[in-house]
Order: sequence, then C-alpha cells, then structure tokens
Amino acid sequence: MASPHYPDGTVRALLQTDLVTEATRAALLPRLDTSEYTPQFFDEATYELLRAVAARIYPQPERPEPIELAPVVDKRLAQGDSDGWRYDAMPPDREAYRLGLGGINQAAQVLFQRPFGHLSEPQQDQVVAAVANGTAPGENWQHLPIDRFFEELLAELAEAYYSHPLAQEEIGYVGMADVPGWHRIEPNQLEAREPEEVKP
Amino acid sequence: MPDEEVLEEGVLNPAKPEIQDPLLKSILAENGGLLAQAPVEQEQPAPLPDPVDEVDCVVIGTGAGGAPLLARLAMAGLKVVALEAGPRRDPTRDYATDEKAQHFLFWNDERLSAGQNPVAFGNNNSGTGVGGSTLHYTAYTPRAHRDDLRLFTDFGKGVDWPFGVEELEPYYEELEHFLGVSGPTPYPWDPPRRTGYPLAPLPLNGAALLMQKACAGLGIQTSPAANAALSARYYQEGVGWREACTNRGFCQAGCNRGAKASMDVTFLPLAEAHGAEIRADAFVTEIERDAKGRVTAVVYTQYGEQKRQRCRHLFLCAGAVETPRLLLLNELALTSGQVGKNFMAHPGMQVWGTFEEDIRPYKGIPGGLISEDTHRPTDADFVGGYLLQSIGVMPVTFASQMARKRKLWGQPLRDYMRSYNHTAGINILGDCLPHENNFLELADEKDVRGLPKPRVHFTAQENEQRMNAHAEKLMRQIWEAAGARDIWAYERYAHTIGTARMGLSGDDAVVNPEGRAFDVPNLYICDNSVFPSALSVNPALTIMALSLRTADKFLAAQQRLDR
Ligand SMILES: Cc1cc2nc3c(=O)[nH]c(=O)nc-3n(C[C@H](O)[C@H](O)[C@H](O)COP(=O)(O)OP(=O)(O)OC[C@H]3O[C@@H](n4cnc5c(N)ncnc54)[C@H](O)[C@@H]3O)c2cc1C
Ligand code: SF4
Repeated sequence: MASPHYPDGTVRALLQTDLVTEATRAALLPRLDTSEYTPQFFDEATYELLRAVAARIYPQPERPEPIELAPVVDKRLAQGDSDGWRYDAMPPDREAYRLGLGGINQAAQVLFQRPFGHLSEPQQDQVVAAVANGTAPGENWQHLPIDRFFEELLAELAEAYYSHPLAQEEIGYVGMADVPGWHRIEPNQLEAREPEEVKP
Repeated sequence: MPDEEVLEEGVLNPAKPEIQDPLLKSILAENGGLLAQAPVEQEQPAPLPDPVDEVDCVVIGTGAGGAPLLARLAMAGLKVVALEAGPRRDPTRDYATDEKAQHFLFWNDERLSAGQNPVAFGNNNSGTGVGGSTLHYTAYTPRAHRDDLRLFTDFGKGVDWPFGVEELEPYYEELEHFLGVSGPTPYPWDPPRRTGYPLAPLPLNGAALLMQKACAGLGIQTSPAANAALSARYYQEGVGWREACTNRGFCQAGCNRGAKASMDVTFLPLAEAHGAEIRADAFVTEIERDAKGRVTAVVYTQYGEQKRQRCRHLFLCAGAVETPRLLLLNELALTSGQVGKNFMAHPGMQVWGTFEEDIRPYKGIPGGLISEDTHRPTDADFVGGYLLQSIGVMPVTFASQMARKRKLWGQPLRDYMRSYNHTAGINILGDCLPHENNFLELADEKDVRGLPKPRVHFTAQENEQRMNAHAEKLMRQIWEAAGARDIWAYERYAHTIGTARMGLSGDDAVVNPEGRAFDVPNLYICDNSVFPSALSVNPALTIMALSLRTADKFLAAQQRLDR
C-alpha cells in the first residue's frame, strides 16, 4: 500500500468554518503567514545553513513556498525556551546547535571540500546521511554526541513541520475541527468534515 | 449546529453557574444552591492577603496529590492556601486543539536526563498550572491491585507498602463517584468490588476495536478501560454539571469541555467553594524553619516579586521531581538519606503498526481498551506485571516519537507520516523496581531563577528490560494478528515515581504511612514521590486516594491534639 494522499485546501477551508474554535483558529492561522523572517539568534550564514539542512530533512519539491522550519528553531533559541528536558550528555541547546551545524559544515568540507550550502542536493544528502549514521567527519563531533544531536534535530524539526496546518493537511489530520466532537470513530467511519484519501 | 455548541460551552464551566440550563436550575433549587457557591474564575490575581498572616496549611502544587487534600482540609474548616507555580487558565477559552499552542500545560523548565535510558520530561511527564499534570493526563484510572502493594512479600524484590490496598479502597470508591469515572461493571480482573463505576464505558475507537478483535483471537481478555472522562453529562457535588466527552481525543493537551476529571474542574472548585485560596504563578523556592526544625513559612516568587506565607503545616505536593528538588535545595527531611533516591518510571513501551483500515488516531478517547491479563503472567521471567492499553495519538507527538526512534529523514519520512491515519498503537504500563543507580540530584547548572537544575538518572534494570521484552513480543503478536504491517516498538518510560518514599521507619523512608516527614513534625508530602513501589497501573487515581487518606489522617490527628 503506497502512502495515501489527501485533497488540497481541506484544512485551509476548515479553518474558515465555525467547526473550529476561536482558540484553535488563533493558534493555527498565524502559521500560514509566509512573510520573510529575519533571524534573531543565528547569524545569517548559520541560519542559511540550518535552512539548507532542514530542506534536506523535509524536502518539499512540490511546494512553491516550502514550509520554513528554521524560524521555529531560531525563535526558540532566541527566547531560551526549553521543552522541559535535555540529555545530560548534551551541552545546552544553543551550544548544541552551534556545534552541530558547525559539524555539518565540517563534514561537508572533508567529504566535498565545500561548505554544505554550496553542495548539490545529492551531496547534501550524503552529508546528512553521514550525520544520521554517526560517521560524519569533523572536529566538532569530538564535543557533541552525534547521535543525540541528530535525534534532537529530527525531533524538533518534526514538531515544527507537523504543527503546520499544511503539513497536517498532507497527512489527513483534521482534529482541529474540534467544535462538534466526533461520533463516527470506528475504523473506516468518516464524518462529513473528514477528507477522504485519494488512493494512489 | 455551532450555535447550540456555544450555548453548551457555557454549561461546561462549573465556575459560571449563572449561565447554565433550566434543568440545572431546578436541580440547583432542590440541592439548596450548592453550585451557587462555586467561585468565579479568577482572571486577575486576587489582592494578596497580609503576608504576616499565618494560615493552617499551605499546599505546594495543585495536581493529583495537592488538589484532593486541599478540598478536604478546606471542607474541614481549616484556613488553607495553595501555591501553584503554573498559571490558571480558562479551558473553554484558552485551550486550542493544537499541540504546540498547549505547550503552557507542561513543566518546561529544563531538567537534565542522565543514565542509559534518560527519561523525557515536559510533555511526556510533567504538567503545570492550576490542576498540575492532571491538566494533560489521559485520565486512565485503573485501581492498584492488592498484590501491587506487596511486591517484596510475593517476590522478595522491591519493597512493600506500609499498608494494604484495603486502606485505599474506600477512597477509590469515593473518587470514582466524585470524578465520574466511566468504566466496565463488573471489572473483569480485580476481585469483585462493592460498587461499580458510576458511568458506562466510553465508546471504542479504531485502535481499541482492532486490538479487541485481535486479542479475542489470541485468547487475551480485554475490556473498555476505566477513564475519568464522562461518558454522559454528570452532576458533581459541589461543582455542578459537567458535560460529556465528545471523543475529541485531545486529553493529553487539555480538555476544553471539562469532561475530563482534571483537578481544575473537580477538586479545586470544590476547595475554593469551601474557602481555600489558590495562588497561581507562585513558585516556591524556600521553606523556612524555626530552631526546633518545624516549618514556619514558605517563600515564593509571584509576578517577579518575592513573598512569604506563614503556615502551621506544610503539604508538599510538587510531584516526584520538584518535591525532592525543594527538599534538597532547603536541606529538609534529609536524615534518612532517601530524598531523591528510588526514582522509578513506568516502562511505557509502545508498539505501532500500519493498517489497511482508515483509523484516524485523533478520534475518540486515546486509551479506550485495556487488558490486565498481563498483571501476573504465568510465563513471566520478571517481578510484578503490567497492563495493556490501546492508544490514539496526535500528529505532532507521533511525528516526534517516530523521528526519535526511527530516525527517518527526507522523502521516506514524509511518506511514512502520510500513513498517520492508518496507524494504531498499543502500550503498556508496568512495575519498576527501585534501584540505587536511579536517583535525582541537584546539578551544578542553574535555571533562570539561579536554582540548580535537577538531574535525573535512570537506567532500565534487568527487571524492566525483561518486562519490556515480554511485552514487546506480545504487543507485536497482537498487531500481527490484527493485520498490521511495518510494526515498530518505541521504548519509553513515563510517570515520575519515588524519590521521597513512604515507609515504617525513618531509617529507610522519608515519610511515615500517614505522609508525615519522619524528621519534620509539620511537613507532609503527598504526590507521586511517596510511592514505595511503582505499581502496575497508572498512578493518578492512587495519588488522589493517598491524598484524601493523608488529609483524613491529618485531620484525625489534629482532633486528637485538640482534645
Ligand atoms: C501525557 C500524560 C498522560 C498521563 N496519563 C495518565 C493517565 O492516563 N492516568 C494516570 O493515572 N496518570 C497519567 N499521567 C500521570 C499523572 O498525570 C501524574 O502521575 C499525576 O498528575 C502526578 O501527580 P502529582 O501530584 O505527583 O504531581 P502533579 O500533578 O504534576 O502536580 C505538581 C504540581 O506542583 C507544581 N509545582 C512544582 N514545583 C512547584 C514549586 N516549586 N512551587 C509551586 N508549585 C510547584 C507544578 O506546577 C504542578 O502543578 C499522565 C501524565 C502525562 C504527562
Ligand atoms: S476526548 Fe473527551 S475528555 Fe478527552 S479532551 Fe476530548 S472531550 Fe475532553
């Protein structure tokens, strides 16, 4: 069974209806805003590096305007927010990102003699794969547990991506239509407001 | 019909009796206007009373441990103040059905997680706010079994509780009826009970039905779970009408209907109706004592200002990480050497599978189905036991766990997540034995307040590993029988337990069987930290039962003194 697809526009349309509470709409609508973001924590080069890495972890070739994940990380680090815990083996988050992104660039240099941002997509994928496998070269990995860094990076980007209404639309999640509650909850039972999947 | 819903939303809020429906009004009249005493939700902090005032009791924390006893003490006529680090919110207005927006429900101060199986905190474990972790618990409310409290007697491992489950049973009954627990009567696993659940079970969702069918084929008995979410509208004494669950599946990030029995819609309004004062955004940092070692006051920070509250008795109910942290910070109750020790976390292994069926894991109460056939499995090579639950999940939590475990990235990641609507999970909650390597300590690293961060060491020991292996095999069998493919297991540890345990002697325990610290006569501890063993069931109902018991023992002792 290949991955199902869902019709475009369902979540955007839902958000306009009174099936969604005011609180939920207020949380989701701002995430659809695509205006330019100026980094507050990372310097320009590091921010662009993070963007480039995020674009390989969440490639979105089908989207004219990809969902931007780097602003979520930058804002969090600028505000010093935490999710309540940290691996004791890891340095504080700001330091971890500084070391980890630096390490990715070092790996790119060793493997392809160029910074990550200047590589082709397949080359970038090779660098990310080396980090994922824990085999990436680079001096920074002496100071940062590579597997934990990659795990943290993946988890933070996953949370950022799937918090976005369009990513939720992509996987057919419409739980935000919370006003009426759900009656048809058994397997293969859908409510009128639940989009049917488009079988591939 | 949206308009009807708006009307109904008014009914949900027990703090606003004036806008409730005619039926309610007539019942109110019959009940002598009980509800009319319910407090109005505080939007602004109330003016602070004179700080030199001494109150009978200060309660730190308003979760499962703090809230029930707060109500009990207030109802006995004592002057009580609760100090709660987190905010007070209005669920009908402030709770978005969005995981990210609900971040404020979690204890987000950074904790350091050490050991071979570092425990995730924040959204995995710890809530904050008026209501504590019950604001985001899934409201599973199984009772502990008789033998859960005597692991040492039965297995020669772990420790026994200083009393038997019969001490908790009357409180279980009271709680189930007060909170409005929905569940099966008779309950299939325990010995027969005196009373059944007040409400019928909640409807089963996709994951629950798939698990039910597969288990039937494998000869595993299942039942709809006991859950403190209302399967029907329910009149709660001292609080008023609460609305039925709408199967919104969002319990972990806050119920906006008041259908889930979190403390903010149950014990806390009851406590306030009887004169308790709850101060939100009040973070306690210091506990002051006199020369004899009795607690005299607590110091807390509220809206950037330091304040002091004097008290005759202190109830520390800050949860199994912040409670030992406060004790260590204040060098209090340390003579047993057990503060911070015996940290336990329930093995909470999850097994996920992808199904042909369209499941939509966001619908229905997340944990619909239970089996306790694994309570004492005959083929077990471990001490204690576990229970099985079907689980639903919201997309962000699912994606995050999946990323950590499967390390997928790029196109395979997006493809896998596209089958979100076809995934269903089962998980366990099982006993955990205390071990010397599992403990909490203060780290050198400081938090924003300048206080040392807690560092929690946790390594799953042989018993936990064996239990996980047993459970993983069984859950995989169930999902295979149900027709799942791409089955994967996520090893996780949930619930913070231990760290200030209860026992018969101050040599090896921090509090006595009545919850009082052995070496501080007017300090009581009541939350997850006093559990001597982890139990093979979810903890909240037992924490609440202990809370009521501690309050009753305290009140009885006070009476004895008065005479
Ligand atoms: C996602 C999730 C699902 C869960 N599901 C279930 C379930 O289905 N069934 C079940 O039985 N259990 C469940 N639990 C666990 C259950 O919620 C907790 O075990 C229980 O609420 C713990 O009670 P407690 O009183 O020990 O601590 P808490 O409820 O956490 O209360 C402690 C309170 O103290 C406050 N506090 C801490 N430090 C300070 C300080 N210094 N000053 C002032 N206030 C302070 C905190 O803000 C908090 O409000 C779940 C937990 C989570 C996170
Ligand atoms: S499923 Fe029921 S109890 Fe849970 S959040 Fe929704 S309405 Fe509340």
